[in-house]
Amino acid sequence: MQSQGSLSVSDESIARMLCDDSHVEQAVRLIMSKYGEQLYWHIRRMVVAHDDAEDCLQETMINVYKYRSTYSNEFPLSSWLYKIATNESLKLLKNRAGFTLSVDDLGDSLKESVREEASPNADETLILLQEAIALLPAKQKMVFNLRYYDDKSYEEIHQIVGDSVNTLKTNYHYAVQKIKDYILEHQL
Amino acid sequence: MKEFDLEKLSREMPYKMPEHFLDDMTERVVSQIGKQRKQRKERKFIAMFAGAASAAAVALLLLHPFGSARLDIPDYESISQCTSVDDLFQTMSADELNIYSMMSNYYGN
Repeated sequence: MQSQGSLSVSDESIARMLCDDSHVEQAVRLIMSKYGEQLYWHIRRMVVAHDDAEDCLQETMINVYKYRSTYSNEFPLSSWLYKIATNESLKLLKNRAGFTLSVDDLGDSLKESVREEASPNADETLILLQEAIALLPAKQKMVFNLRYYDDKSYEEIHQIVGDSVNTLKTNYHYAVQKIKDYILEHQL
Repeated sequence: MKEFDLEKLSREMPYKMPEHFLDDMTERVVSQIGKQRKQRKERKFIAMFAGAASAAAVALLLLHPFGSARLDIPDYESISQCTSVDDLFQTMSADELNIYSMMSNYYGN
C-alpha cells in the first residue's frame, strides 16, 4: 500500500521531518504510507494474530514518535523502524509468556493461531510454512522472516537484530532446515 | 530422500489484512501523537508558569522593602531637618497626604 507520493520522498527527508516538531505528523503519515505494510507483515509473522499485530504496529509508531531523537542517520530509516517493530513484537510475546515461560515456549500456541487466523481458501503449504515458522525459536524466526520475506541482507539484519553476521547465517541455516523438515513431515 | 525447495514457494501469506486497516491505523496514530504533543505543550506551559511564579515570589521577597522602611515613614532625623510644616508636607507622598487628610477629618484636626 505504498502511495506514489510517499515513495518519492527520501528516507533522509522523512527522518528530518520526524525531528522537526512542525512536520512530525507528516513524517508519521509518510512512514505509514511507505513502510506501514512491511512493518505490519513483519509483526504479524512474529505474533500471528491480527489483533496483536495491530497493537504492536500502533505501539511501534508511537515509539517512533517518542524516540525519534534517538534515530541516527548512520543506519537506514527502515532498519530503525524494523528494529522498533521487532522489539514491540518480542515485548508482546514476552508479556504473553509471563514469568514462568520464555518466548520460545510459545511455539505451540502460535502454531494453533496460524490455522485460526488463516483465510479459508489459503494454500495448505503456506499454512504449513507459517506453522513451521511459529515453532522456531524467536531469534531464528526473526532472521528467517527478515531474509526470506523482506529480502534483507545480513548486514541489514545485523542492524535490526544485533547479532554478528556469522551468527545470523547460522540461525538462518537452522531455520531453513527445521522448516523443510516440518513441511516434509506434515505435507500430504 | 524427499527434498523441498523453499525458494520455489510463494511469499504470499495465508492471512488477510483487513481492508482500510493501514489508513485507519495512520489516523489513529496521528491522533494519538497529536494528543501527546498537546499534553507536552500543556506540561511545558505549566512548568514555565510555575517557574515564572516562583521567580516572581523570590524577587518579591528580595526586593520588597520590608523591615524598618516598610511604611515609608520619614524618620525623626529627616523630620527634624524640615524647617516648616510645609516642608514636611512636601516630603509626603500622595497616599500619606490622603491618610493625613482622613485622620485630620476624623480627629477634627
